[in-house]
Amino acid sequence: MARLLPPLTLLLIAAFCLAWLALGWVVPNRYYQLLLTLVPIWAVLGVSWNLFSGYSGLVSFGHAAFFGLGAYTVTLLLVRFGLTPWFGIPVAAVLGAVAGLAIGAPTFRLRGIYFALAMLAYPLVLTYLFDWMGLQEVSIPLQREHAAWFMQFQDPRAYLAIALGLLAVSLAISSAVENSRFGLSLLAIKQNELAAEAAGVDTRAWKLRAIALSGTIAAAAGGLYAMVLLVVTPASVFGLVVSAEAVILPMFGGAGTLWGPVIGAAILVPLAETLRAEFGTFLPGIHGVLYGLAIILVILLAPEGLYWKIRDLRAPRQARAETTPAQAPRPDPAPRPPIGDGTLLEVRGLGRNFGGVAAVQNVSFRVPPGEILGIIGPNGAGKTTLFNMLNGIVAPSAGDLRFEGRSLVGLRPNAICRLGIGRTFQVVRAFARMTILENVLVGAFVAHATDAEARQAARRALAQVGLEDKAQAIAGDLTTRELRLMELARALASGPRLLLLDEPLAGLGAAETEELIAVVRRLPAAGVTIVIIEHTMHAMVGLVDRFVVLDQGRLLAEGPPAQVTRQPEVIEAYLGRKWALAHAAG
Amino acid sequence: MSAAAFIEQAAQALTAGILVGCVYGLLCVGLAFIFGIMRVINFAQGDFMMVGMYLAFFLTTNVLGTTLLGDATPFVAAALTIPVLFVLGGALHRLVIARTTGLRAVGLSAEGHQAQLILTLGIALVLQNGALILLGTSPHTVLTPLSSSAWEVPLLYAAFRAVFVNQARAIAALLSVVVAFALFRLVSSTRLGKSLRAAADNPEAATYMGIDVDRAHRIAFAIGTAVAGLAGGLIVAYYPVQPFVGVDFIIIMYAGVVLGGMGSISGAFWGGIVIGLVQQLSTLVMPLQLQNAAIFAAFVLILLFRPQGLFGRNVERA
Amino acid sequence: MLRVEGLSVAYGGLAALREVSLEVRAGEFIAVVGPNGAGKTTLFKAISGTVPARAGRILFEDQDLLARPAAARAHLGIAHVPEGRRVFASLSVLENLEMGAWPEAGRAAFAQSLERIYALFPILAERRAQFAGTLSGGQQQMLAIGRALASRPRLLMLDEPSMGLSPVMADTIFDAIRELHRTDGMTILLVEQRVAEALDACDRGYVLETGRIVLDGPVGELSADRLRQAYLGV
Repeated sequence: MARLLPPLTLLLIAAFCLAWLALGWVVPNRYYQLLLTLVPIWAVLGVSWNLFSGYSGLVSFGHAAFFGLGAYTVTLLLVRFGLTPWFGIPVAAVLGAVAGLAIGAPTFRLRGIYFALAMLAYPLVLTYLFDWMGLQEVSIPLQREHAAWFMQFQDPRAYLAIALGLLAVSLAISSAVENSRFGLSLLAIKQNELAAEAAGVDTRAWKLRAIALSGTIAAAAGGLYAMVLLVVTPASVFGLVVSAEAVILPMFGGAGTLWGPVIGAAILVPLAETLRAEFGTFLPGIHGVLYGLAIILVILLAPEGLYWKIRDLRAPRQARAETTPAQAPRPDPAPRPPIGDGTLLEVRGLGRNFGGVAAVQNVSFRVPPGEILGIIGPNGAGKTTLFNMLNGIVAPSAGDLRFEGRSLVGLRPNAICRLGIGRTFQVVRAFARMTILENVLVGAFVAHATDAEARQAARRALAQVGLEDKAQAIAGDLTTRELRLMELARALASGPRLLLLDEPLAGLGAAETEELIAVVRRLPAAGVTIVIIEHTMHAMVGLVDRFVVLDQGRLLAEGPPAQVTRQPEVIEAYLGRKWALAHAAG
Repeated sequence: MSAAAFIEQAAQALTAGILVGCVYGLLCVGLAFIFGIMRVINFAQGDFMMVGMYLAFFLTTNVLGTTLLGDATPFVAAALTIPVLFVLGGALHRLVIARTTGLRAVGLSAEGHQAQLILTLGIALVLQNGALILLGTSPHTVLTPLSSSAWEVPLLYAAFRAVFVNQARAIAALLSVVVAFALFRLVSSTRLGKSLRAAADNPEAATYMGIDVDRAHRIAFAIGTAVAGLAGGLIVAYYPVQPFVGVDFIIIMYAGVVLGGMGSISGAFWGGIVIGLVQQLSTLVMPLQLQNAAIFAAFVLILLFRPQGLFGRNVERA
Repeated sequence: MLRVEGLSVAYGGLAALREVSLEVRAGEFIAVVGPNGAGKTTLFKAISGTVPARAGRILFEDQDLLARPAAARAHLGIAHVPEGRRVFASLSVLENLEMGAWPEAGRAAFAQSLERIYALFPILAERRAQFAGTLSGGQQQMLAIGRALASRPRLLMLDEPSMGLSPVMADTIFDAIRELHRTDGMTILLVEQRVAEALDACDRGYVLETGRIVLDGPVGELSADRLRQAYLGV
């Protein structure tokens, strides 16, 4: 539990809330007390947005939908059914979760800009709907008796206390998410959804959980907002400004961080409300201008938000060094185990067309356990498409694919990872601001139920690649070689029996290549069979047991390196027919 | 209601739909320039329209007066918004938007596209609320004799049944079609237009040709804003302007552009017409207030089931 | 005409080129060969300006290219036929060629250029109204070369024109390139994976391997064994 809610974080949350409450006690007039109450409410909305969009990278411009639904639910339950908001708000929260799922399920099928547009439309539809239903303005009548039971207080500071309570709860939830596999999985999705899938992250499920949780908290904020203002209109709770605030506050403060929304709310809301109070009469809408300018300035000057900007200014990130002093390569502890007799991976007649062009055609080969197989071929030969089929990113148009006897055709990448196939990608997108261990952790979740076990597995993977003493280093400062090793560790953390390596040596110098190869060579002894795509031939020649050569989508040759590199067809494919003929001696 | 009356109502709705749709079509074409060529979601597009509306209103009532140009005054005013908004759009692009697009965005995190989105949201907020400050909340319309005259087109199947075609709207629709067509020709036949398409198709190759992709984007953006302003100038003759009028139209524009298929200028125009028809025809079966809800619902459905639109171009090998 | 001195380029953290130097004199046909991932395309991108250089100089006719923005370089007379062709798929063949003629020099002599392009590649004349995206790979390659020619370049740079093409089609393309050099006296910088075809017609060759020039000189002097080692590792 201490992991999820580190004592320091809990302390900070408590300290902030108490300090803010104290501020509320000190402030003399009701207006400022209201102002202070609004800050945590908007901060909670910001936290809810952050939970979903800040971590996953799927920008939602429609969070007003949840906020408004919460506001109306609480209000209507009170006004029509006499249900106290103490129960009404939890009900609204549940409704928020349901709304989140209802909106998320169809909308997640949309990519990028289409997703943003759809999210924008939802609260607008709700505005028109509620307007039409005659709910243009619903006010909450004052309760004479048992006012506290109906969450109505004479002293506005009571609302402040409740709002801070809600903020504390949401920050605690946010912290728990951030420190658990929930947060890391979302971040992985943000970095590179495809790579996350391939690492075993069930992206669909996590996104749905995130939006449901986000909806819950946003609805609760909306419900409380209704109780504070005592009147709801469609524009005030479903309007564009609400959705905009949900986006702006965390982005200003620092998207994807725990305190970002709070920083944003603490700075922008008082500023906006004060401007509105002082100048609102002859400059109506000044707060809107402020929000607009704030967002423009943030995007131009500090796109990751104030939190990161300040941290960067105080401790500038070191530039990534291009070369690193080469560590003495570890002596080979165990010799290569013999290659097994069985078939770990079988590819039969595999093909893939893209709009009439056959990228891969009728390719068949088998991989026994314990082998290191190299897939080579000139540019455009279909190697990457083959890999993408092996790990489920692309479905084959023809043929069969079996792993340990089980067909892989039609399985999603995270399911394939679950079965025991791991993959690295050419372009490593690391979580630049997190430690190497945290980066590798994502890969371990698929195979380990508890976070503690996952952490151990991650450490073991780091040891396998030789990075264990750098576990706490920040990923953004790594060299290319270290990044590659980290990517390898991430794939190993899921405990695969087959590992697909996609051009792991690209961009490495000679010494670095040696090191990486040494690491890869040790893997079969740990029970991992390797299939590797590479261009750098010399390294491969010394590393692999067998080559499979592709050319123009077809299997050209297959066999041990010494044999394959002398075959005329192979030489011709790489160097051209004329050269092959001219230098046939070989 | 009798069948004859229903047919008359339907015909009226159809006419209204086409007239309104033509102007929506122009609006969509403006957005298509920006969306199709730069792949930027411009949240502020409706607000550029709003600026055009206010400008046209101001020009008509205070500057031009009704004596000199008579009935043509509002349309001349609308035309005058074009250069103003062209310059505004170009300046906005150079100063603000260009910093988040293209090669310059390489330094930003993976959220390049998101950055533009959010940036234009900020611009929208500034424009909306700035207008609120400067111009107040009371709605204004440019009312001319044309706004309240209509041609009566008798429907031949029954006596005393006719469709009323509002003159101001009819002229606005006609002008919209003309301008949309001119823009279509610009993009398809002129050297400049082709360079815009090339820059959208493959910015890297366009750079190798010596085409300044940044400048191409700026021109596209400026054209997009100018068109929004012009459409606004045409609309203000029959639709009142207030600072938040853009919000009403933004979904209409996006629905039309997505329906027409991204990157297709002509598709965007037809998309606008379809949306106009949906909006007006929906009044036959739904209460008036839900008109826009019908569009939004249609929009969401399009996004879910056919995001490539009706005319989404497929130029890959069959 | 073109001089690259000590060029180093880093691409997303990877050192793609390390102190590369080469020279192309007017009227020459220079080939740069090397295995995949050697940095050949990066070299072209640096010359054209779509990738920034970390160190070094690039001089074109004594003008400092690195001081010019990418879009200005084509106007100086450098034409780049990119890897993978990158034709404008949604434009017609003729419109693609028109875009090629964007620089002043190209625009002025467009009619003449068209004649020469159609003479070299008759199929383009046949299909001038067709969308470029619907052409076959080989036809797209011809279009990409035609597009480059339309700018009336002083230097023609071709990045792996044979990629993804059948041997017969590749031969056609190489024949056309050879003719451009022989008949039109075009200065050519060619990057290729197919060694023999590239080295066949060229005056001098450079071999690029993991970002460095490892071998260069007149064709006859490039050792067969060293070449094979660069490509196949044996």
